[in-house]
Amino acid sequence: MATILVVDDSASMRQMVEFTLKEAGHQVIVAEDGQVALNIAQGASADLVITDVNMPNMDGITLIKELRALPAYKFTPILTLTTESTTEKKMEGKGAGATGWIVKPFNPEKLLATVNKVLG
Amino acid sequence: MAAVLKNLSRPMKHLRLPEFQHMKSYWDPIENVDVIRILAGECYVTHCHEMITTVLGSCVSACIRDTVTGIGGMNHFMLPAGKAERNGNGAVHGLSADAAYGGYAMELLINSILKYGGRRERLEVKIFGGGRIIGGIADIGFGNINFIRTYLRTEGLKVVAEDVGGDFPRRMAYFPATGKVLLKKLRNVRNETIVQQESAYLTNLRREATQGGEVELFGD
Repeated sequence: MATILVVDDSASMRQMVEFTLKEAGHQVIVAEDGQVALNIAQGASADLVITDVNMPNMDGITLIKELRALPAYKFTPILTLTTESTTEKKMEGKGAGATGWIVKPFNPEKLLATVNKVLG
Repeated sequence: MAAVLKNLSRPMKHLRLPEFQHMKSYWDPIENVDVIRILAGECYVTHCHEMITTVLGSCVSACIRDTVTGIGGMNHFMLPAGKAERNGNGAVHGLSADAAYGGYAMELLINSILKYGGRRERLEVKIFGGGRIIGGIADIGFGNINFIRTYLRTEGLKVVAEDVGGDFPRRMAYFPATGKVLLKKLRNVRNETIVQQESAYLTNLRREATQGGEVELFGD
C-alpha cells in the first residue's frame, strides 16, 4: 500500500481517481490545484504524485518543478494524468521531471498497472 | 458588393482557437454566422460569433459559456455502457471506464474554455439530448443524462436550461457568444440514420474505453 497525492481541479476526476486507487488499497490525499498540492507536499510525504496539467493557481508542470526542488520529492515518481497529448507538452513534462505521462480518459486497470510499475 | 460586405463580417478562420483550426464550417446567410457542425465524440470551442450545430439521439451535449467574455462551446458524447457508477452520495466515481470517459468529454470542453480566458465561476451551462431512441439498449439516453447531471453537480456548475429525455432525437444550434439555443424535436423524422451513427460511435467508444488513453513512461 502506498500514499498517493492526487492533484486535479476537477472534483469529479479527483473522485474517480481516488476511488480507483483506494479500491486497490492505496491511501490517497487529494488537492484541487498545484499550489494546494505543494503546500501539502511541504508538510507530508507521498510515495507517488499523480497530477493534472491544466489547473488554476499553479499548473501541473510548475508543480512538478517545485516538487523536484524539495529534497523529499527529488526521486518520488510523478505521473501526469491529463487531456494534453501533444509531443511538446509531454517534452515539457519530461523536462520538468515527470516520470510518466498518462492521457485521459484513463482506463482504471491501466492506471493501476502504471502505478504499480512506477512504485516498483 | 453585398456578398463582399457579408464576407467581411465573417470571422477569419485564422482567428479560430488552435485546437479547432481543423474543423470545417459553412456560412449561414439567415443567421449571418459561420456554422460548425459537430459529430458524436467531438467538441468545439470559440471566442467568435459562430453557431455550433449537432443532432442528438441518445447522446448528450453540454453547452457552456463564460457569460462575461462570451467564449464557449459544445460537446457531443455518450458513455460507453450508458451508465456511470456512483457512490452513496450520488457522486461519480471511477470503477468503470464509463465515468472516466464522460469526465474526459466534459473536461475537454471546460478546459478549452478556461484555457482561453473563461472563468469557472462565470460558466453558464445548458444540457440537451439523452433521448430514448436506440432499441435494445434503451436506457443509454437515461444513463447519459444521469451522468451529466451528476458530473455538473459534483463540479459545482449550475444548469440554467435543459431539454433532455423523451423518445425523439433533437437538432440543435448553440451561439456561445450570446448563449442562445435553437432546438427542434425531431418527432416525425425516421431515426434509422441517427441510430446507425450512434451505434457505430458506441462500438468505437467501447473499444477505446477498454484501451484507455496512452501511457508513456519517460525512463532515464
